[in-house]
Amino acid sequence: MIHVQNRELVVPGQLIAEGDYRLRDGTFREGKQVYSAVVGLAELRGGEIRVIPLQGRYIPSRGDVVIGVVVDSHYSGWILDLNSPYTGNLFVSDLVHRKVDLLREDINKYLSIGDVVVAKVKDVDERMRVQLEIDQPWMGRVEKGKLVEISPVKIPRVLGRKGSMLKTLQDVGRCRVRVGQNGRIIVLGRDHRMVNAVVEALLMIEREAHTSGLTDRVRLMLEKIVSGGGD
Amino acid sequence: MYEIVSSVKRNYIADLALHEKRLDGRTFDQFREISVEKGLIKSANGSARVKIGKTQVLVGVKIEHAEPFPDTPESGVLMVNAELLPLASPTFEPGRPDENAIELARVVDRCIRESETIDLEKLGIKPGEDVWAVFIDIYVLDHDGNLIDASALAAMAALLNVKPPEEEAWTLPEFPIQKRPVMVTVSKINGKLMVDPCLDEESVADARISIATTEDGSICAMQKGGTGYFSREELEKAYELARAKADELRQHLR
Amino acid sequence: MEKPEKLIVDGKRLDGRAPDELRPLKIEAGVLKRADGSAYVELGANKVLAAVYGPREMHPRHEQQPDIAVLRCRYAMAPFSVEERKRPGPDRRSVEISKVTREAIEPVLFLELYPRSVIDVFIEVLQADAGTRTAGINAAAVALADAGVPMRDLVSAVAVGKVDGTIVLDLTKEEDQWGTTDMPVAIVPRKKMITLLQMDGHFTGAEFKQALDLAFNACERIYEAQRQALRERYAIKQGG
Repeated sequence: MIHVQNRELVVPGQLIAEGDYRLRDGTFREGKQVYSAVVGLAELRGGEIRVIPLQGRYIPSRGDVVIGVVVDSHYSGWILDLNSPYTGNLFVSDLVHRKVDLLREDINKYLSIGDVVVAKVKDVDERMRVQLEIDQPWMGRVEKGKLVEISPVKIPRVLGRKGSMLKTLQDVGRCRVRVGQNGRIIVLGRDHRMVNAVVEALLMIEREAHTSGLTDRVRLMLEKIVSGGGD
Repeated sequence: MYEIVSSVKRNYIADLALHEKRLDGRTFDQFREISVEKGLIKSANGSARVKIGKTQVLVGVKIEHAEPFPDTPESGVLMVNAELLPLASPTFEPGRPDENAIELARVVDRCIRESETIDLEKLGIKPGEDVWAVFIDIYVLDHDGNLIDASALAAMAALLNVKPPEEEAWTLPEFPIQKRPVMVTVSKINGKLMVDPCLDEESVADARISIATTEDGSICAMQKGGTGYFSREELEKAYELARAKADELRQHLR
Repeated sequence: MEKPEKLIVDGKRLDGRAPDELRPLKIEAGVLKRADGSAYVELGANKVLAAVYGPREMHPRHEQQPDIAVLRCRYAMAPFSVEERKRPGPDRRSVEISKVTREAIEPVLFLELYPRSVIDVFIEVLQADAGTRTAGINAAAVALADAGVPMRDLVSAVAVGKVDGTIVLDLTKEEDQWGTTDMPVAIVPRKKMITLLQMDGHFTGAEFKQALDLAFNACERIYEAQRQALRERYAIKQGG
């Protein structure tokens, strides 16, 4: 039995359903009853119940792409701030993909404090110690572009269903957009006007994340600027 | 400082509780052995040492001149302070009183103040200028659980032991005690309620409720502690338990 | 202030309320920009602000817990919040209130989700008129939900007491000062769990039960106001 509408706004402790549902994020069970643990939109799909959070911090999860900022170094790597309660650790060998002789080689030439790095979460242990790695050619230190920070819970909307929103941003906005699950986004492009327009669009997505027709509105806005009618 | 409790111990105590048993073989409504010794400290006006099992608390009462509070210019002043001495437990650290020491002092303070145990109105000397101040200092010597009950009992015993200062300003025939409140702490472990938790029980308990009652069974102070909860039924049961046990504890004040 | 001759006249209290009547209550969620979550509560003349930061990295590190998040609560009163200026900084009363506030809230949090981190709750009383600790708990619960911290339920709190021999709900400063008894209570409403209970004064056993009845009823209403505050905050955001 279901006690709320699909995509209804729920608050912590609110009864969503009773019965044998599979529980996803934002929910918990007491006996047969399924409750919301957060403020969010209850989503009921098949036998699955989740609550899409409207607020909250980024908690690292294996396989996530994140954008970190180097805040410290140690003898064999770096500590990255992840806009999260937990920092990430990046070993030099997970950056350069070869064995590094730490006695002979000065690793400071690879990364410095303050550098922005696109990385993948290689592992998270049960104490929430986070290991990062660079395993794609497009990952690693970011040399240029604009860094935007939005609420991490809005990132799924920036990507859109099957990446549709991201595709719109990149194709219509004529920029490359690197999205970190931790709420940080890098916008790269030749045309400053378009970079700014994509940044605008990202902030609009954050503001209006839970409205419908958003992809179309973003497309319209970007097209207007491309055709010179912007501002 | 955090005390890590091994899950073995936790499970053991919780399991015992489920079978209506306790670590030291007591029943749920049974206190450990209680002893009250009065007048050990000659430099204090009144003193008492209370032992509940291995827990030991010493209370000294000093009576001194003080300025009254502006809103009660003719009344005496009551001050309660508690020290969790580093010698009493490896988890107690020297320094300013932490939240546990402050809570302990304030709970005992309310127990004595709200029951009007001491007739403070009789402790004026010169209105607005000079009154008697009653300082109750709680010294925890050995911490094996249930500091609240031991401290409240020791404070009450020490007050009953008070010899007034030998000064001209003291004109009362005796120290004005009107009530004998007694505090009883009830712990909740695995859904079971039990009085007088020892340290091991305390460290695995979900929550505790301390209830102070006077001779007529009415309540003068309460404090819930711990990160668990009580249902309404549990609370009412705890009150009945506390009330019954208070009469028993009060026997030790004679 | 002089003690009034009577605090209850013809069944009405000095401010015109019936014994079981709550003061006007206003709750607003998401009132601060920088905090991860926040809430503002007015209860009668009480004005209380709560902010939540976290879960975030725990400093100092030795206070980290390897398997759970630590909840830290700090209750403070502004120097100008009471008639006679209060010295800034924690006094014994606020240290105790901070502790019981933490214990009142912790049972609803899933602290095991965030090992080694800390969740900070800051409660600032801007204007005080008795019942600040319970107002603070009401604000803190809403602020935690506003921060997206997973919770089993909210926590609702209110003070009850005895004035002129009558059991009353939600005491004012005068009633607290001149009345017989004050008993702040916090409840996890869905499961009716009591997570804070303090009392000083005098209750018979029967009065204690009557006071609990009043507190439970009032917490139901406060709970609904808290939920409504959260819905309003996020309904606007959805509007777009």
